[in-house]
Amino acid sequence: MKIKIDYEKCFKSGECYYNHPELFRMGDDGFPVAVVDEVDAEIDAEMLRHARQALEVCPSEAISLEE
Amino acid sequence: MSATAEALADLDPREFDSEEFQRDPFPIYKRLRDFHPIYHDRFHNRWIISRYWDVDAVFQDSDGFDRAVYKPDGPYEFGSRHVFGPNILEYGNSGEHRRLRNMVAGQFVGQKLVDFLPMVDQISQEVIAKFIDAGECELVTQFSSQVPIRVISNMLGLPREDEDTFVEWYKLLIAGLGFGGEHMARGIEARNEMWDYIDPMIKERSKNPGEDLLSRICVAEFDGKRMTPEEVKGFVALLLAAGGDTTDKAIANMWYHMLYTRPDQREDVVQNPALWDDVFTEMMRFDPVVHTQFRHTTREIEMHDHVIPERAGIILYLAAGNRDDRVFKNPDTFDIFRDDLHMGRENRSGRYKDGKPGHLGFGIGQHFCMGYAMARQESAIACTRLMEAVKNVRPKIADHPGITSPSIDSGGFRSPAELWLEFDRP
Repeated sequence: MKIKIDYEKCFKSGECYYNHPELFRMGDDGFPVAVVDEVDAEIDAEMLRHARQALEVCPSEAISLEE
Repeated sequence: MSATAEALADLDPREFDSEEFQRDPFPIYKRLRDFHPIYHDRFHNRWIISRYWDVDAVFQDSDGFDRAVYKPDGPYEFGSRHVFGPNILEYGNSGEHRRLRNMVAGQFVGQKLVDFLPMVDQISQEVIAKFIDAGECELVTQFSSQVPIRVISNMLGLPREDEDTFVEWYKLLIAGLGFGGEHMARGIEARNEMWDYIDPMIKERSKNPGEDLLSRICVAEFDGKRMTPEEVKGFVALLLAAGGDTTDKAIANMWYHMLYTRPDQREDVVQNPALWDDVFTEMMRFDPVVHTQFRHTTREIEMHDHVIPERAGIILYLAAGNRDDRVFKNPDTFDIFRDDLHMGRENRSGRYKDGKPGHLGFGIGQHFCMGYAMARQESAIACTRLMEAVKNVRPKIADHPGITSPSIDSGGFRSPAELWLEFDRP
């Protein structure tokens, strides 16, 4: 699973990097940067759960998971 | 302009230093918004911004406005004149600030926050148990100043038997932030004692980290770098003020409004404790703990036909923006059921899916309050536990002098000095 950030939609709420610093960090301009680009669903179910939570808490609906 | 309007527009900057302003700044806020959206205060050498969307715009523009404090001849010497020592806020908009923030911001939200909540619950109940049989309590000394510091002490993983000492240091440190050399000296003394106490712990936990917050801060890495011991200590001190004192005062303000401003809505909250969450939000709009934020312009800025020069001092009156009738209906009414305010959890952007404006009380953007989720949850839990415990609660004293602050313009936190509650003995 690849974590995608749509920078057109993102309005820098910070919800992803505040709630899930294991997956995202604040970039220089306040936009999130994915720390982990790809989560292997088979190996790391916990990380995948976190990625799904991040997708849920994002108020701008800018995060998506792709196969 | 009519004669009255002219009198209102004519603002003497010395009014900002008056006791009346510390007690009730809202009439002046309104005059600023209506007649001077950008007010050049030549007496205090600063520019004041007070309308909601202007405050928002300054927060959003981190290129044009910096948080760091500078001396006239160069960068500020970090921690030099501050009771708390070097801390994250003083690093302004720099890469240093981002590095420190990235290391710690994740500790107060999401699952890590959820893990702390049962402890907040337990501590609230322990503190309540100490006074519940009396049938009355003074909320500030007996409850609101007790819970948040004990929570932080636990989060840091300090021994429980040292909690009382920690509360004492906290009180001296906070007093040290006020005016007067004597208070400041005692505050710095308390800070040094606290740092001597915590220093060996930092060394130990850097080597053998546990699950506690102090360990996590000690070993957190960003770009392969850890915080220095000095930065860790500065951060612990900042936690006490930004995480302890503000929550302390938030709880006191929430109860003040339920006892005196809206006793009718108190009945709703007794019936449905989930409403404490909305009491928190509306308190943060109506009269938040922090009224001011400071910025410096990094370049010449044009706003409302004014040209603000480079490196000018800016004061943002968050609480003035929160009462802007261009944004909120009946802004001077405290109402936990208002439909024109974003009532849920805040976020850094100040933008919400429901399209409603949020309160400005946590700031917006780069320096948005890091403890936003924690402050809300902790306040709501503490208030809920207390309200469950105190049956038929009412003010002990009919008249209250109200909420005030030591000094709004130096970032003083607002709260009632005392708050006496009376209730039926269990």
